[in-house]
Amino acid sequence: MPRTIPSTTGLLTVFLILTANAAREARAAGADPATPAETVLAADKEGKLVVYSTTDSAIVAPVLKDFGALHPKVTVDYNDMNSTEMYNRFLAEAAAGSGSGDVLWSSAMDLQIKLANDGYALAYASPEAPGLPAWASWRNEAFATTFEPIVFVYNTRLLKPEEVPQSHAELVKQLKAHPDRFKGKLTAYDPERSGIGFLLITQDARLDPSFPDTARAYGSVGVKLYTSVGAMLERIQSGEHLLGFNMFGSYAIAKQRKDPSIGIVYPKDYTLVMSRIALIPKAAKHPNAAKVFLDYLLSTRGQEQIAKVALFSVRPDVQGETTAAALIQKLDGVLKPLPVGPSLLVYLDQAKRLEFLKQWQQAIGTK
Amino acid sequence: MGRRRSGIRIALVLAAAAAIVSPLALVLYQSVLDAPFFQPSARPSLDAFRFVFADSDFHRAFGSTVLLSAGMTAIAVPLGSALAFLMVRTDLPARRWLEPLVLVPIFLSPVVLAFGYVVAVGPVGFVTILWKKIFGSAPWNLYSLASVILVAGLTHIPHVYLYASSTLRSLAGDLEEAASVSGATSGRIALTVSLPMVWPAILSSGVLIFFLGFEMFGLPLVLGDPEGLLVLSTYLYKLTNRLGVPSYQLMAVVAVVIMAIAFPLVWMQRRLLGAASRFVSVRGKGLSARPLRLGAWRWVALAAVLSWLVATVVVPLAGVVLRAFVSSWGEGVRLSEVLTVEHFTDLFQYPNLVRGIGNTLGIAVLGGALAVAWYAAIALASHRWQSVWARVVDYLVMVPRGMPGLVAGLAFFWLFLFFKPLGPLRGTVASVWIAYTVVWFAYGMRLISSALLQIGPELEESAMTMGASGIQVMREITLPLIRTGLLGSWLLVFLIFVREYSTGVYLLGPGTEVIGSLIVSLWATGAVDTVAALSVINVLLVGMGLFVALRLGVRLHD
Repeated sequence: MPRTIPSTTGLLTVFLILTANAAREARAAGADPATPAETVLAADKEGKLVVYSTTDSAIVAPVLKDFGALHPKVTVDYNDMNSTEMYNRFLAEAAAGSGSGDVLWSSAMDLQIKLANDGYALAYASPEAPGLPAWASWRNEAFATTFEPIVFVYNTRLLKPEEVPQSHAELVKQLKAHPDRFKGKLTAYDPERSGIGFLLITQDARLDPSFPDTARAYGSVGVKLYTSVGAMLERIQSGEHLLGFNMFGSYAIAKQRKDPSIGIVYPKDYTLVMSRIALIPKAAKHPNAAKVFLDYLLSTRGQEQIAKVALFSVRPDVQGETTAAALIQKLDGVLKPLPVGPSLLVYLDQAKRLEFLKQWQQAIGTK
Repeated sequence: MGRRRSGIRIALVLAAAAAIVSPLALVLYQSVLDAPFFQPSARPSLDAFRFVFADSDFHRAFGSTVLLSAGMTAIAVPLGSALAFLMVRTDLPARRWLEPLVLVPIFLSPVVLAFGYVVAVGPVGFVTILWKKIFGSAPWNLYSLASVILVAGLTHIPHVYLYASSTLRSLAGDLEEAASVSGATSGRIALTVSLPMVWPAILSSGVLIFFLGFEMFGLPLVLGDPEGLLVLSTYLYKLTNRLGVPSYQLMAVVAVVIMAIAFPLVWMQRRLLGAASRFVSVRGKGLSARPLRLGAWRWVALAAVLSWLVATVVVPLAGVVLRAFVSSWGEGVRLSEVLTVEHFTDLFQYPNLVRGIGNTLGIAVLGGALAVAWYAAIALASHRWQSVWARVVDYLVMVPRGMPGLVAGLAFFWLFLFFKPLGPLRGTVASVWIAYTVVWFAYGMRLISSALLQIGPELEESAMTMGASGIQVMREITLPLIRTGLLGSWLLVFLIFVREYSTGVYLLGPGTEVIGSLIVSLWATGAVDTVAALSVINVLLVGMGLFVALRLGVRLHD
């Protein structure tokens, strides 16, 4: 719901924004975030917000632009980096007691929960949180902001429709039936080098009863492992690889909008759903701006923007193609959202993690 | 010599020592702890060494690194020496044109090159597809260790060429001429007369190439990705995620291993180079000899040099440029349908990318000048200074040489974070500039000293005798005489700073973006469109620098 901001300067602006905010809150049905006016005022005074994020700035730009239109006095310093780097950087900066991110927004759900679990996150009862499904927040410290299906992606120029597997089981069957066709042509995240890749493959191991066999099938065609979904999409697009699994549906849809050679399959046996988790560190230098941003992300207005850039809205009241509502309608019973909570921490135990990786390497035959 | 002047000299040396030694010390300290050094729970322990040495990935990475180093040395040394012989001693056609061109590979970022190779000769690269159309199948695999070795070897030919050619130039050609008059063929002259004379220089460049192989990061990062090929530097990068939580102690151990191998090699190279110049100095400078006639072979030689340039410069750069102007590529894509300039217009929508381009220019132009000033100050401080402190500078130069840029960057990140007086610089371009200046200390010092070496001591001595003070001599005699040398150094440092990529990786943050580290980081997130556009801009900046350098008549080597 676009809304123009008065362009006058000085005190008058503050006054107008305040009244505008008040008017907005009075509307109750509320598309815009319900942040209390005093928090907004304090945020404007802080004037700055540092976001550490794993989401490509290219993808999230429209969301930030809309936030900027709503809060023109808060300058957003948006830094995208990979998830482990972000976690490491935050810990080092927290230990040094120097400035760090005001909002951490990451797809590495396990690392985000670990930060909250280790006491780094500020508890904030966001007025927008009640709009989320119950599973989507944890202790008022970590909040799910998206609802992103994990999909197969394939090259539509080079893979015939009848060759496209519709489920994990069919994928394994295809690989076994046509090993030469898929030799070196299958791609996925490298669980050793990518935190999110590790998280997804451990979920596969949990949900797929014949996982060791599945992993061996991946290994038999020499699955090519990368650290980012962008790198995999690029290579599927170019035909270097034909098909990828455990790919972010959100990124694939964004790519598909530019290039029709990208095809997407929601696996019919189970489709994992992951979510970008946002939290505010206790040591945030601009805590009010952080709260304003978090409220915005969770609000209907923010979620509509998130749906627009194909990151899939998590709020049930947002409608459209790339929303949780639409997905649930289409794939009811198949969707397996990753839980937002300490059950994600299992494999951050080093011994368990290394043991899993060892078994994985043995199954795909790199060891 | 006044005591005050000594004081200034010693202060300069100490400042340089602090900047160079502190990151090294921090890495060593981190390697013997069991957790990140900033965590209260960190205790002294050798567990990190145990973990790394027991890790089969480490063994694999170590093995491939040795193969890579040995392989690229085996390719670059003979070919680089041959190139030097052709350029300096024979009547190879178009030598004047080739002279700057053969150095171009040095100034291209390896990440950019590797990325270009993927688009050009990768499994669905445009050269590969064309080849397949004509011959049915393409026999190469770009992602194999053999390919990485080949690319690394070919792109390091200029490093060997630099050393071998400058030695050859300084040697009189009379011996070769004598052999030629006696009827020896060019090939025989090269092997039995020229080669023994430049042998120490070649050996020293061989050692240099070998340890450059140990730190190589960009090529294996991009080309090793699909097949999971690991070398020590990419293994170190991979450790970031291995345990799921910070594993700085493991990374520090790998850094220590790389340095433990690099330092002796750096030392050995310097010894050999010293031996080489001693050898040179006993020969007087004769008249420049007439070039050896190659006859019809000169065209074969020219073809060989040109095809090498096509393979190492034209093909990868064509790949980069192509990728920057298409929205899709590969098998079954008609290029005419996918042309776009969107990747460039998109760049300007992201403040961090715009900042990155601005920062790169700032660091290269302004930072380059400041770095040269700093190198010159240290070089002048130890210039004709008979003191142990001058020896200290000599050894200091070696330290950053043996330290991979990636690790130096990480250590500087820690320093800026935890050493409070430096705190205000964190998150500013100054932090990147300091790291660059320290990492390229050896290179910069060599540039300045070679300018200083061209001044005969008698000029300075006569001024001294006339009663000029040390400062006066420097200001009125030494500095004016090396002015051109300083200008040339500035341009070369500009080129090196534009090309640099690994040092900034861990320093990358809001405000510290530079093109090189942005490319590495964006490559990791897979924003290939942006990587391609940034790469083209990077190559353009290098091209501009080279153009200016050549117009001003700067020699691209000493």
